[in-house]
Amino acid sequence: MNVDWILSNYGVLLPEAVLTLFAFAILLIGLKYRSVLGYLAFVGAVVSLGLVIMNFSVNATLLYNSLVFDPLSQFFKVVFLLVTLLTIIASIRYYHGNVHQGEYYFLLLIATVGMMFVASANDLVSLFVAFELGSIATYVLAAFDKDNPRSIEAGFKYFMIGALSSAILLLGMSLLYGITGTTNFTALSQMSFEMSGYTLAALVLIIAGLGFKMALVPFHMWAPDTYQGAPTVVSAMLAAGSKKMGFVAAFKLIILALIALRTEWYMVFAIISVITMTYGNLVALTQRSLKRMLAYSSIAQAGYIAMAFVVVSHTNVDSVVNLAMGGALFYILSHAFMKGGAFLAVGAVGYMLLRDRIKVDVEEDDIDNFAGLSKTAPITAFSLAVFLFALAGIPLTAGFVSKLLIFSSAIYGGLAWLAVIAILNSALSLFYYARVVKVMYWDKPKFVLKGEPTAYVVAVLLALLGTVLLGVYPGPFVDVAMKVAEVFL
Amino acid sequence: MVFTITISSMILIPFIGALLASIFRGGAKAIALVFSLVPLVISLSMYQQIHDPSTLSYVEHYGWISALGISLKFGIDGLSLPLLILTGIVFPLTIIYSWRLPYTPHVFYPLMLVLESALIGVFTALDFIIFYIFWELTLIPLYFVIGMFGGPKREHAAIKFFIYTHVGSLVMLLGVFALYFESGIGSFDLLSLIGAFSTLSPDLRNIIFLAILFGFLVKLPSVPFHGWLPDAYCEAPTPGTVVIASLLSKMGAYGILRISLPMLPAVPSLSLFVKILAILGVVSILYGAFLALAQTDLKRMIAFSSVSHMGYVLIGVASFSALSLSGAMFQMFSHGLIIALLFMLVGVIQSNTGTRMIPELGGIANKMPVVAFLVMGGFLASLGLPGMSGFVAEFLTLMGAYPSLPVYVLLALIGVLITASYYIWAMQRALFGPYNENLGEVKDVGAIQMLPMAILLGLIVLFGLNPAPILKLFEAVSVMVEVLI
Repeated sequence: MNVDWILSNYGVLLPEAVLTLFAFAILLIGLKYRSVLGYLAFVGAVVSLGLVIMNFSVNATLLYNSLVFDPLSQFFKVVFLLVTLLTIIASIRYYHGNVHQGEYYFLLLIATVGMMFVASANDLVSLFVAFELGSIATYVLAAFDKDNPRSIEAGFKYFMIGALSSAILLLGMSLLYGITGTTNFTALSQMSFEMSGYTLAALVLIIAGLGFKMALVPFHMWAPDTYQGAPTVVSAMLAAGSKKMGFVAAFKLIILALIALRTEWYMVFAIISVITMTYGNLVALTQRSLKRMLAYSSIAQAGYIAMAFVVVSHTNVDSVVNLAMGGALFYILSHAFMKGGAFLAVGAVGYMLLRDRIKVDVEEDDIDNFAGLSKTAPITAFSLAVFLFALAGIPLTAGFVSKLLIFSSAIYGGLAWLAVIAILNSALSLFYYARVVKVMYWDKPKFVLKGEPTAYVVAVLLALLGTVLLGVYPGPFVDVAMKVAEVFL
Repeated sequence: MVFTITISSMILIPFIGALLASIFRGGAKAIALVFSLVPLVISLSMYQQIHDPSTLSYVEHYGWISALGISLKFGIDGLSLPLLILTGIVFPLTIIYSWRLPYTPHVFYPLMLVLESALIGVFTALDFIIFYIFWELTLIPLYFVIGMFGGPKREHAAIKFFIYTHVGSLVMLLGVFALYFESGIGSFDLLSLIGAFSTLSPDLRNIIFLAILFGFLVKLPSVPFHGWLPDAYCEAPTPGTVVIASLLSKMGAYGILRISLPMLPAVPSLSLFVKILAILGVVSILYGAFLALAQTDLKRMIAFSSVSHMGYVLIGVASFSALSLSGAMFQMFSHGLIIALLFMLVGVIQSNTGTRMIPELGGIANKMPVVAFLVMGGFLASLGLPGMSGFVAEFLTLMGAYPSLPVYVLLALIGVLITASYYIWAMQRALFGPYNENLGEVKDVGAIQMLPMAILLGLIVLFGLNPAPILKLFEAVSVMVEVLI
């Protein structure tokens, strides 16, 4: 056994291996040199991202077919690593000098490794283990600001509901195993199911378990509290990255493995998707806390992405399925930039308030604190405005192309009513996004800020670049998403 | 030749100007003026070189999202070229007009330039999604212009305008999606989509036509979709109002003429829809005129007169006659000039006297002879005095429509009478009679603001006496459309 043999057989695992290695190295180095940790984590994520992109069109299975490496898994790994990168860049400033930053970056990288394995899972067991790895690390991250009671509450709530939903997911998986006698997705996808109470129960439990991670209504209760209470850099990671772990798991388990049950989950997802987008947008309308508003908007966006499930279950015409899934994938990539960027921009404002010791009698992310931001922090304000318009689906941003793809797939699939509801929702959402832009641009500033923090600016500008690039020049990215989506045909 | 004339450069150059103006803050005004003039120069040289205005020329084609068949395709013909010229005229004049006004230059002028880019995009796009993108893109700069520089109720007006027209556009987008997928042509090319329209099932054709028309009617706006108009027109700062009234309302009219009109012959319930369009047109003309008659606010009065005048476009579309259509198209051009002049004048009156309420004015002709002269010119042009461009447009529209829609034309003529009465009545109360001493000492308009208004009035008279240079372009297109029908 030599290096060549390992590389040729397990080379596809290199990105995960590199990231794990860096994670443990950070834990050790963090005992003595704290100031380099952020940069180290950054290098690790960049190397890992480079390796994933080099191996993008790979097609391999590993460990008795329990892990699969295909364009789909690589696509999601790229999304996860991009979000992690943005989070790390902003964290370099936020956790500068923090005694526990070793653990922070360790957990961040390990959570990413877990999410990457979820993207590669091809077996109920490997999926569940990776899912837990990705989840447990984020529970700790959400509660990382130990001095802030809200952060503790966020982590605790997230953990309690997360543990419960993991149990539900596991119960569903074991039922599925009991019915079929296999845990492998490839085998499951070839199974013909006999409709029974057990099958239905397994399906419902799995949807509920994964719906928690995707923050679909009615499994969303944790999301606003957690996103609001968690350190904003972590909220960015949860909303833009961790949530997508739920989506990739659901794509694999529900669309790939349980495609035989499509008629059963059609109605479930139709209802969930409509309720999720409508509820998210309606509640977001009245929020004063920007992080809470973004949390509800994130719920609404999950509702749009979930339209892909509805379309796929409604039809089996290849071109429709391809468009719907390609649209969902493109949406997930754009959402990572838009939502990650928006949370980081909000975080930058919170950081500046803290740094400049400005006393405000409202929460740090209250909309009042954003008044006149265009004058006190022009780059942050401009980027946030673009992210919010992108989330609303205004042209020349990634959000527009995403909605174009996914809404048009609904019409293509004969679900015009769904597209109408989604479009009405989209119009409704403009109201609360535009309100924030209004406050930032034509209200008077309440206090003076001493310059924008470089690390945050870099992270926000990178996300801005992604948002605008995907909106102005979407062609090649759409092609990639459509190519990746061929996995679902 | 170093510089080839292309549509894409016409779209990009104002946008580049916007970036430069926001970077070089000191020279923002000068940069804005120079860059806003470029589209005028380009469109005029296109005008000189265009051979056959009834077909598309200067077509450009680049890939964008190949998976859905969306491509960046642009082109101009006799319908879009005059609107480009209008855009090229109105923007530099508005920028000159705003020269001394207290708007933060490095914010205001870039927004105006972005708006100019987006408008040119709307008038030249030949792919539906690209058309839609530019269509929606016009909202963003206007949202900021209204919200940051507008009147007391600007926040409400900005959001109302933004969301109202956004909903209209989304409905239109739905209709286009349905057309795209049901026809299965795999391309969003505007002309191919319109061509494929007749292959769909009859029920679907009705729904799709209505959905697309809805977006345009909201933008026009036609009664009863004019709810956003009074607030947006009145709360926007004068340059914003000028651009909305003069150019943005033409987007709706352009959409109807470019997209809905060629679809109309293939609509199953043709006679019903023609009736609806004619009724909407007449109702807009009459209702808008009556509303204008009831206003005491000069700006609101002109805002409603705009609703009234855009009703002619609908009459022209419903008439199916080349004469009436070219009249309706000429109305777009002429109204663009007249309404720009009128709103600029209201802006001057308000800033110089401190009010724009008709009862609070009175006899200002004594103190502001130049303004009074321009107002008279503008009002007379707008009420359709022969020798001014408005007369040509309205006369052609109504005369061409008479054979097919006699009743509607007679009703519209009543509208002309009401229009004449509210303008003349407003003139009497605001301009003439004894001077209202409560106003104190008022100054006449300064030279910088007079220049753009004088140019506009000059153009209005010029095209009133000799409409042919523009009208011939429209005629070429409308004859084509008539053949099609």
